[in-house]
Amino acid sequence: MSFIPGQPVTAVVQRIEIHKLRDGDNLILGFSIGGGIDQDPSQNPFSEDKTDKGIYVTRVSKGGPAEVAGLRMGDKIMQVNGWDMTMVTHDQARKKLTKKGEDVVRLLVTRKSLENAVRQSMMH
Amino acid sequence: MMQEPQEVVEETVTIEEDPGTPTSHVSVVTSEDGTTRRTETKDNVTNMKVTKMVKTVTTRTVRQVPLGPDGLPLPEGSSPLGSYTDSIDRRYMKNGERFITPQATSTLTRSYNNYSDSYNDTPDSQFRHYALHDGYGDVADNYGSLSRGVNYRPYRPYMPTGGYRPENSYTLPIRKDDYGHVAQPQVPMGSSTVDLNRSQPERFQPEPYGLEDDRRSLGPDEEEPYDLEPDYSTANRRTLPGRTIREPLRNGPRVRTYEDPIEAELIDERHPYIHGMYPAPLAQPERGSLASLDRMGGRRSPSIDSIRKDPRWRDPDLPEVIAMLGHPIDPVKSNAAAYLQHLCYENDKIKKDVRQLKGIPVLVGLLDHPKAEVHRKACGALRNISYGKDHDNKVAIKSCDGIPALIRLLRKTNDMEVRELITGTLWNLSSYEPLKMVIINHGLQTMTNEVIIPHSGWEHEPNEDSKPRDAEWTTVFKNTSGCLRNVSSDGAEARRRLRECEGLVDALLHALQSAVGKKDMDNKSVENCVCIMRNLSYHVHKEVPGAEKFQDPSALQGPGSAGTQRKKKDDAGCFGGKKAKGRKNGEHDKNYDTLDLPKRTEPTKGFELLYQPEVVRLYLSLLTESQNYNTLEAAAGALQNLSAGQWTWSNYIRATVRKEKGLPILVELLRSDSDKVVRAVAIALRNLSIDRRNKDLIGSYAMRDLVSNLPSGQQRPAKNLEEDTVVAILNTIHEIITDSSENARSLITAQAIDKLVAINRTSQSARETKAASHVLQTVWSYKDLRNGLTKDGWNKTHFQPIATGTPKGSKSCKPGYDDTTLPLMEKSQDGYSTIDQRDKDSKYKSSDGSSDLQEREPLKNDTNRKHYIRSNRPTVSLVDACDVKPQPVDSWV
Repeated sequence: MSFIPGQPVTAVVQRIEIHKLRDGDNLILGFSIGGGIDQDPSQNPFSEDKTDKGIYVTRVSKGGPAEVAGLRMGDKIMQVNGWDMTMVTHDQARKKLTKKGEDVVRLLVTRKSLENAVRQSMMH
Repeated sequence: MMQEPQEVVEETVTIEEDPGTPTSHVSVVTSEDGTTRRTETKDNVTNMKVTKMVKTVTTRTVRQVPLGPDGLPLPEGSSPLGSYTDSIDRRYMKNGERFITPQATSTLTRSYNNYSDSYNDTPDSQFRHYALHDGYGDVADNYGSLSRGVNYRPYRPYMPTGGYRPENSYTLPIRKDDYGHVAQPQVPMGSSTVDLNRSQPERFQPEPYGLEDDRRSLGPDEEEPYDLEPDYSTANRRTLPGRTIREPLRNGPRVRTYEDPIEAELIDERHPYIHGMYPAPLAQPERGSLASLDRMGGRRSPSIDSIRKDPRWRDPDLPEVIAMLGHPIDPVKSNAAAYLQHLCYENDKIKKDVRQLKGIPVLVGLLDHPKAEVHRKACGALRNISYGKDHDNKVAIKSCDGIPALIRLLRKTNDMEVRELITGTLWNLSSYEPLKMVIINHGLQTMTNEVIIPHSGWEHEPNEDSKPRDAEWTTVFKNTSGCLRNVSSDGAEARRRLRECEGLVDALLHALQSAVGKKDMDNKSVENCVCIMRNLSYHVHKEVPGAEKFQDPSALQGPGSAGTQRKKKDDAGCFGGKKAKGRKNGEHDKNYDTLDLPKRTEPTKGFELLYQPEVVRLYLSLLTESQNYNTLEAAAGALQNLSAGQWTWSNYIRATVRKEKGLPILVELLRSDSDKVVRAVAIALRNLSIDRRNKDLIGSYAMRDLVSNLPSGQQRPAKNLEEDTVVAILNTIHEIITDSSENARSLITAQAIDKLVAINRTSQSARETKAASHVLQTVWSYKDLRNGLTKDGWNKTHFQPIATGTPKGSKSCKPGYDDTTLPLMEKSQDGYSTIDQRDKDSKYKSSDGSSDLQEREPLKNDTNRKHYIRSNRPTVSLVDACDVKPQPVDSWV
């Protein structure tokens, strides 16, 4: 997922649909995010490009809705329910994920292994 | 060839209707036209592209019916000429904001410049593309989002047709009635987007359109299609390349005759710009970034103009500008740098953004660029960035080796403006303490050799017969001396380096002598030089090599014999513990009266000059003549530093001051309005009183002035002096009444007891109270004075220190300052020498030399006086604040 300014970003993505779990008054997804345009990208352990200020999945709680749906630690979230996540602040990202009225979030995520998988399949 | 028409078609709607042949013809014509320098097909292509860029969207005047710029028929339906000129004028007016003057010339020139530039500068076709297009491949990319079809602003005023036809225009004089058309291309609205063209149709009158077609079919009038509405865009484009040709500016044949005067005018206008213009959208002329604003009518933000007139135009945003710094074409680099400089002016946020976008390493890299334009603009940008409260920018410059790069460039360049920028940047950088040693390490000798020595007029090997040269107070010298002033405040190591820098002290002294000689002492450069001298004089008795030789033997016994206490606990003084010693010192002083200087075998040079008695005369001259408070303070500070301590040379200095009638000069300055001057002078007098004869004299003549500076408690003091100053005066008074009952008597005579008691009781400052009480105690210790005091109504309690339960800001007490029980020698300030910790941030908006847009931000003084010996260098990790990794934020969702 290298980023060339001025060029559209291309990536192999996976769609993940997470059904939120109701925990009392809260709806939880079961993962945590890091990153954002207001954060320091060099501290991101998952990103290939250390200037990538995108939103990454930093932890996935075991057995939670996110893990069940196929989200993995290190995934970069590109979209949430159609909202772009590549150029947002950390808080904006969090808000898009935790909208009270929504039970389901549909994420567009990408990870390096996807790219590898595709490349592998193309080679055969 | 055939490609061209296709391209054209893509670009403009109108062209689609157009069989396209004309365009190809046009291109052919243009290429064949000998006037164009470039006759290759590439030109054509370029032309095509260019023309695409410059679609004249706004006006599609009908040939038959003269239309105004907005496409509506002109009321008069007058002669083509009339319509032409009208439309021209209107056109210009229409794009009012874009053009400073609603004259074709201005607009033309702008666009012309672009083209001409593209043509003249490099035969590189890519370059041309770049110049003429946006949206073309790499060129566009360089500009980042500019490729989104935003026209270069310069294109707006494009009057393409004029440019293009020229050659042909001569040959084809027809189409006079096409004025309207011809005029149209001149509409500055050269929008390159197809959309604009598409929007045109509304305006068109079908009839004229048809006519255009007719026209188009005319063979020889190959240029004609250009006149046609649809062709205008193309024509315009085509003409763009032609622009570069002198003639090309002529409009199409039709209007040629009428246009000639205008064209000529236009052409002339253009010429000046030929060399100066870049095809950059920002089109920064040499004059510096603000010049472009002039073109915009002097508005501060070009984007206003772009937004208003043409929503497709957009200023590049910051990442794009920074990307442009790496563009292969040099003028782009220098434009981008100049634009950055402009953006950064007085805008801390943008400076920070530039840093975070990693723009600073790029700029530093450009300093090594061979082209003057590039490194000059880059340096200007760095200078602006380095200025300000946010020191992270300075750190960033240092971290990417900016300081060695600046010094390298200083050695290489002879351009005065570049040197000014370099030294200005260094001055800014030097105001941040952690960078000072770095600057010394890299740049001290270079700055001395390249700037200080040459401009000071000092000759390293002076010819006996030649007159000593005068100093040149250039901006470069001022900047460099400012930088050295800052770094000289950085502690003992810095001082040592500066003292040992070959030629520095000599040159500075020479410069100061020359200033005194010319009676020109109030300028900034002089101030800087004196401050450097003052800083370097600090602790000379300890720090110069060989200082030990000159230590006064009696002084060595001083601290040791502090054990002998006299009833005045503060008696120890610098004369040693015993009164006997004091007297002995007095005798020593008398010896020094004869100024029995050690014989010199060779002329003094370098740092030795710092403490030669000759400097006394220099400082005293400065004190007498200068009106600059900083200079006065620095000169007094230098004398203070030199007279501190028990050192042979200090003794000589103290005596010399007296002999040169310096004491009255100093006393006179006690009446100054400036706090810092009074303070510096008071402390200088205090140190000078170490010399017995001085003490007597000062006591006699200075007492009144000293006392008058004290706040009088009840009534408003005439001068509202700062606490530091009051404390300094009190300490000085204390010093002169110590060991001198005559002085104590004078003190009483001067009505000082009132004030002292008042301060003692009512002052808000603990330091003032303490100092005042010390004085009072000392007074009381003279038993023979007590009678007089009690007669005046005072009793012992007045003279006792007030035991205050509540601390009055005692935290602010500086240890050495208040503890007057220690001999002066032992006090950390050692006679209260001061170092000038003033860091100056030099705000200079760098402006290109020729420009009169001198944006100079006022010089800011950050006074940061420290009265300590800075023995510990704070270790500051030179890390950009934003690089200090904040903990990553994690949010659970």
